[in-house]
Amino acid sequence: MSNVIYEIKDLQKYYEINLGLFKKPKIVKALNGISFDVRRGEVLSIVGESGCGKSTTAKLILKIEEPTGGKILFNGEDITKLQHHELEEYRKKVQIIFQDPYSSLNPRWKVGAIIGEPLKLNTNMSKKEIKERVLYLMDKVGMHSDWYERYPHQFSGGQRQRIGIARALALNPEIIVCDEPVSALDVSIQAQVLNLLLDLQKEFNLTYIFISHDLSVVEHISDRIVVMYFGDIVELKSVDDLFRNPEADYTKKLLSAIPTIKD
Amino acid sequence: MKNLLEVKNLKTFFHSEAGVNKAVNDVSFEIPKGKTVCIVGESGSGKSITSLSILRLIDHPGEIEGGEVILDGTDLLKLSDAQMRKVRGREISMIFQEPMTSLNPSYTVGYQIDEALGLHQKHLNKKQRFEKVVDSLDLVGIPDPREKYREFPFKLSGGQRQRVMIAIAMACEPKLLIADEPTTALDVTIQAQVLDLMKELQEKKGTSILFITHDLGVVYQIADEVVVMYKGHIVEKASAKELFHNPKHPYTKALLHSIPVPGVTPRKSKLDTVDEDVDYLSFPKEIR
Repeated sequence: MSNVIYEIKDLQKYYEINLGLFKKPKIVKALNGISFDVRRGEVLSIVGESGCGKSTTAKLILKIEEPTGGKILFNGEDITKLQHHELEEYRKKVQIIFQDPYSSLNPRWKVGAIIGEPLKLNTNMSKKEIKERVLYLMDKVGMHSDWYERYPHQFSGGQRQRIGIARALALNPEIIVCDEPVSALDVSIQAQVLNLLLDLQKEFNLTYIFISHDLSVVEHISDRIVVMYFGDIVELKSVDDLFRNPEADYTKKLLSAIPTIKD
Repeated sequence: MKNLLEVKNLKTFFHSEAGVNKAVNDVSFEIPKGKTVCIVGESGSGKSITSLSILRLIDHPGEIEGGEVILDGTDLLKLSDAQMRKVRGREISMIFQEPMTSLNPSYTVGYQIDEALGLHQKHLNKKQRFEKVVDSLDLVGIPDPREKYREFPFKLSGGQRQRVMIAIAMACEPKLLIADEPTTALDVTIQAQVLDLMKELQEKKGTSILFITHDLGVVYQIADEVVVMYKGHIVEKASAKELFHNPKHPYTKALLHSIPVPGVTPRKSKLDTVDEDVDYLSFPKEIR
């Protein structure tokens, strides 16, 4: 297998906004043709302010939306052309962890059912096998096996995020897109979840695409960073390089705006 | 007098069938004139309830059970409701976390600032109020204030809306501004602008600020004094410099070590965490 997991070439996404029956629709360019690659086993972070296109990029990679132009090559195969069965296979390899652990878990389902759902849908494991796998995953994310029968509302934000992480791990994905996974959590809990994500990465050889606006977190967890601004990539560098000698004006502005505990 | 506000042994409890939740339990601190005091803590530590108790905005089933909140010599907890209404907005005003939801979408920006002036500064006529609103929009750095007077909130960005909130809060030149996580919903670059604006206004008008946040980076930028809250209690109280360079209480230490600092914390190393099994209240409180 090659070292590059994703090759993204000249990716564009335009949204049309209808202004009325007889008016020309307005076109919002969310992504202006961006190109980058994701290497196997790395943590690639995408940073930028709201509206810069970082979540749009994630949606296109996850195939929640279709690009207006450009290519996304996953292990050499263009995912924009995938159909039916191939698409199902692709979706098993790419998982997501959402920002808000409160709205991304079904409140009427028990923890066991939530984590087991991807297994039920995508594999032909028996009920017993699924339960075993779920308990194994719960152990991996640091949850007690007694919690199998509990509902999401019985947990704190950090615990819920662990449920979301276990669900993302269920199908042994190659890559996990983390969309602001810690920004809804308290600082103390944030540290626990970051530690867990790093541990799991080592253990399961995962690749993360990490979307965040918190540069201190990004600096801690990433190997390389993509800085986006209004639908364009302004800088793509290793963490050390980016923090030591930022080149683009926007990156400099962004770095100087981080409130840090340092004089 | 040196202190603008003194909170003494404040207790706010919530009563439910399951029992009494002591959200704020025996909290005392002071806010000096023209200074910024930050309350930090996790969700549920009681920091927001403390600020709402100062304004007496606690609803049933919550109850302020005891203590004193002394603003310039008067105990706010002893005032009648009518007297208290005159304090809110005029003496103490508040900025909330969500600039998207705390403005009324069906009134213009100007109208909403004018409303505060109309209520509290009755000696001004319409024209004087208009000029004052334009001035305050200008003061918080909104371009074309005369044009923006007639805009509705949906036309403004998040940062601009938060500026309008600050303009409303500052309109009557209060002595104390309470800011409950005012920058949490904003982007970092906008956050830096809003923090600068608050510092600038403080220098110009001599306003004291009570700043509530869970972001320790922000605290370091803006605070003179810091109050650390944990489960309804104050566990440490110190000047900002002292707290960051020499934290004493184990909870404060754990909190400080749980955030990665670029250039200091080794990359991808294990971060310290606040241990859920430790009862941090069993350690002596560090109040300096």
